[in-house]
Amino acid sequence: MVAAKKTKKTHESINNRLALVMKSGKYTLGYKTVLKSLRSSKGKLIIIANNCPPLRKSEIEYYAMLCKVGVHHYNGNNVDLGTACGKYFRVCCLSIIEPGDSDIIKSMPGDH
Amino acid sequence: MVKFLKPNKAVIVLQGRYAGRKAVIVKSFDEGTRDRPYGHCLVAGIKKYPSKVIRKDSAKKTAKKSRVKCFVKLVNYQHLMPTRYTLDVDLKDVVAVDALQTKDKKVAACKATKERFEERFKTGKNRWFFTKLRF
Repeated sequence: MVAAKKTKKTHESINNRLALVMKSGKYTLGYKTVLKSLRSSKGKLIIIANNCPPLRKSEIEYYAMLCKVGVHHYNGNNVDLGTACGKYFRVCCLSIIEPGDSDIIKSMPGDH
Repeated sequence: MVKFLKPNKAVIVLQGRYAGRKAVIVKSFDEGTRDRPYGHCLVAGIKKYPSKVIRKDSAKKTAKKSRVKCFVKLVNYQHLMPTRYTLDVDLKDVVAVDALQTKDKKVAACKATKERFEERFKTGKNRWFFTKLRF
């Protein structure tokens, strides 16, 4: 059950990395732009909130499978993900286009 | 980071008259054109799927059941669902964007793709493409 229990430490580290991407990198927020970034193969990592509707989640995962892009299931709902991005709105899914100074792409994608 | 909306990719049309139909990408325009400033592609799809052919059908019946009706269309990427399947049918010489300008060119293009699809269906390959999507 070690894999199922997400430690607080790794969760904070994702938040830190995400904050760094928001500051220094390029990203898009929202389902429509995530699909656009996948179609144009610009997205490098997709992050999906845990309360994303299952059909939408499967669709994004399928596109990411075709694209061979990693998907990270964020441990929090869309409200939390929006807060992690530093925004005052809910974010269900986001796509990282340029990580900037962050190493989120190198350290995250192993996890599904 | 691999581009997947390439020619020979099987896709499902999501919107419009042909919603729910399977199609194959013939030519893709990622950057768009002057008339269509968005990513779109030229697809050739199946308007009417061939019926199920069983062993006890006569030759005449098999021929009748294996008929495929096709369409040719320019579709926005947003209105397509890509799949992991591909269909290696060479349609580049038959279907071109100028085929959509006039009605008779379009009919000729559809007729030619119909032949190609029918011969592919008769070989029994790409069975997924020729089965109707149930929804």
